[in-house]
Amino acid sequence: MLEISDLSARVAGKEILTGVNLKVNAGEVHAIMGPNGSGKSTLAQVLAGREDYEVTRGSVTFEGRDLLSMRAEERARAGLFLGFQYPVEIPGVNNVYLLKAALNAKRKAAGEPEVDAYEFLALIRQKMKFMQMSEAFLSRGVNEGFSGGEKKRNEVLQMLVLEPKLAILDETDSGLDIDALKVVSTGVNSLRGPQRAVVLVTHYQRLLDYVIPDQVHVLSGGRIVKSGDKTLAQELERRGYDWVMESRVA
Amino acid sequence: MNAALRSFEAQWRARTPDALQPIREQAMQRFLKLGLPVQRDETWRYTDLRSLAAQSFATAACAFNGALADEPLSLVDAEQRASTVVLVNGCPPALASIPAIDGITINSIRELAKVDPSFVARFFEPASDDDQRRWVLLNTALFTDGLYLKISTAVSAPLVILHLSSGEADQAAHPRIIIDVLPGSSATIIEHHVTRGDAAPLSNSNTHISLGTDAQIEHYRVYAAGAGASQLDALDIHQCARSQCKQFTIGLGGSFIRSSLEAHLSQPGASLESYSLLVGHEDRHLDCVNIVTHAAPDTRSRQTARAIASDVSRVIFNSKVIVKAGAAHSDSQQSCRGLLLSPEAEIDTRPQLEIHADEVKCAHGATTGRLDPDMLFYLLSRGLDRETAQSLLVYAFLADVLSGMSVSSARSAIESALISQLPDSQLLRKFR
Ligand SMILES: Nc1ncnc2c1ncn2[C@@H]1O[C@H](COP(=O)(O)OP(=O)(O)OP(=O)(O)O)[C@@H](O)[C@H]1O
Ligand SMILES: [Mg+2]
Repeated sequence: MLEISDLSARVAGKEILTGVNLKVNAGEVHAIMGPNGSGKSTLAQVLAGREDYEVTRGSVTFEGRDLLSMRAEERARAGLFLGFQYPVEIPGVNNVYLLKAALNAKRKAAGEPEVDAYEFLALIRQKMKFMQMSEAFLSRGVNEGFSGGEKKRNEVLQMLVLEPKLAILDETDSGLDIDALKVVSTGVNSLRGPQRAVVLVTHYQRLLDYVIPDQVHVLSGGRIVKSGDKTLAQELERRGYDWVMESRVA
Repeated sequence: MNAALRSFEAQWRARTPDALQPIREQAMQRFLKLGLPVQRDETWRYTDLRSLAAQSFATAACAFNGALADEPLSLVDAEQRASTVVLVNGCPPALASIPAIDGITINSIRELAKVDPSFVARFFEPASDDDQRRWVLLNTALFTDGLYLKISTAVSAPLVILHLSSGEADQAAHPRIIIDVLPGSSATIIEHHVTRGDAAPLSNSNTHISLGTDAQIEHYRVYAAGAGASQLDALDIHQCARSQCKQFTIGLGGSFIRSSLEAHLSQPGASLESYSLLVGHEDRHLDCVNIVTHAAPDTRSRQTARAIASDVSRVIFNSKVIVKAGAAHSDSQQSCRGLLLSPEAEIDTRPQLEIHADEVKCAHGATTGRLDPDMLFYLLSRGLDRETAQSLLVYAFLADVLSGMSVSSARSAIESALISQLPDSQLLRKFR
């Protein structure tokens, strides 16, 4: 589904990604962990198509297509979804309007007709109920005045409505209370399937208790320095990142 | 002396004195002494009047040779039960032709001055050297006639004053409106400035709003003149105790607009909310000045301005809050946001504060930029195409001012006119 080879990228003139290699197959869940500032969000944003992040080397294919040659909106319509670490507030743009526009953009790209108002409302209601979100959020500006946890739920709500093939969730578990973490995990698990894949960027083992990953990677200094199965996350929790760095040197 | 000044002096000499002669005389002498403002003057830094000063102007006639009825002039629809009064180049219609409106008495200023000149004189500011008032002096000296509106109850239906400017570019008109809201009364007044024909006279208008104790007004001035038109407009607001003024200034027409607002919060509890929506389009030059004076304790003012500039337009928003000695617990906010939509457009904003009292709460902020790249990326990452995402953000930028308007039909008419001057207007219409 996703194949990243030797990806390097610069932000504001600074080399942040320094040769990332990663392969995610359909049906898999991968977790990416790593110290603060190691480049996890940069990787996520480069994959989503942020233009001010300059790719200097390497390639990325998504379902066999050259991802890097696609614009952000094309990537989204092709089934890639980024759950932002810090979702931006957009006052004046209605939350429900955005959901509908996003869904229709995707349907249009797939040659499907626009969703009709009733069908759409029924879908939204069902997903919101699932996410345990009040319908009052629909009429508010996108993320406007939402608490940290509410913003993360809103990201997952968008993901559930759009049903992406590949979801990249950047610290969607940070700032969630225990109940919200369960809701979000259920949401992510509901999306698992043989045709889909999920990449979770996280600092915490506890998310991985609910969403069991097939592989865990450690990103450090802009590249993946260690990969393993779910036990790697447990080991990291116990021994910290220094251990990874030391074992590499050894 | 420049050509404009000479021509205004000639007009002054040619007119027959009326009941307001002493006031007019004072204003004209002051105007001739001070001359037209220049860029050295504090509130005229960004506006060069030299080409205007080089022209001569004759008095614009009161007549309009066209059919008003078949033109879509009104900002309000039938549902609002609004009345419309049309002023052609500042001249009011025959009073008998104005429909009676419960709670509003409408008079000609000149007729009223014949009967009671000292009453009318109360609604004229003393002649002042302040540069923002220069054109008001000229209006006082030369205005042909105007409307005095007395609001004596709570009037719910809006009243539209349609200022129609018609004639030639070498003519000038000086429309004048006095709105006197008696204690405890309230009204919604919409002043709509339009032009008819390819050329239009220079319009130099003045509106005076006086709010009695506990009085309320929602006042709109919508500049919607045609391309090429030049307009100067001054609004004076005087507020008594606990009065509330909600004011909307919407600039979306003409080539040159200079708009000023001076509010005097003279008694405790007076409150002003001013909203400005300034749209720079093509080569428009739109210069807006607000001066709000807190002259009594516990007064409150909010100024919200949104400026958008595209093409090679220029938008200026200067606001100043003055808190006089003794105006303790004054509370003021000035917020201006500018959005540049083209590399050649320009927006200048300057919020200022002048505080002579203790224990006051004054906040101000001004930002100008292009569309926020984080917001744009967020929308793109959800699959919206770039044009839609950009339009959506422009629309969102305007939304706070528009949503404050309580006359829904005026709001949608204004929204529609605004949208037609923005890039991707077809797309924008979808968000409404
Ligand atoms: N616009 C920018 N300008 C300059 N430096 C940037 C910019 N964006 C990111 N960086 C830098 O790039 C590095 C990687 O940032 P990134 O956000 O990818 O880290 P991260 O691994 O997601 O960290 P965290 O765990 O704290 O979220 C950091 O040192 C950051 O300061
Ligand atoms: Mg991050």
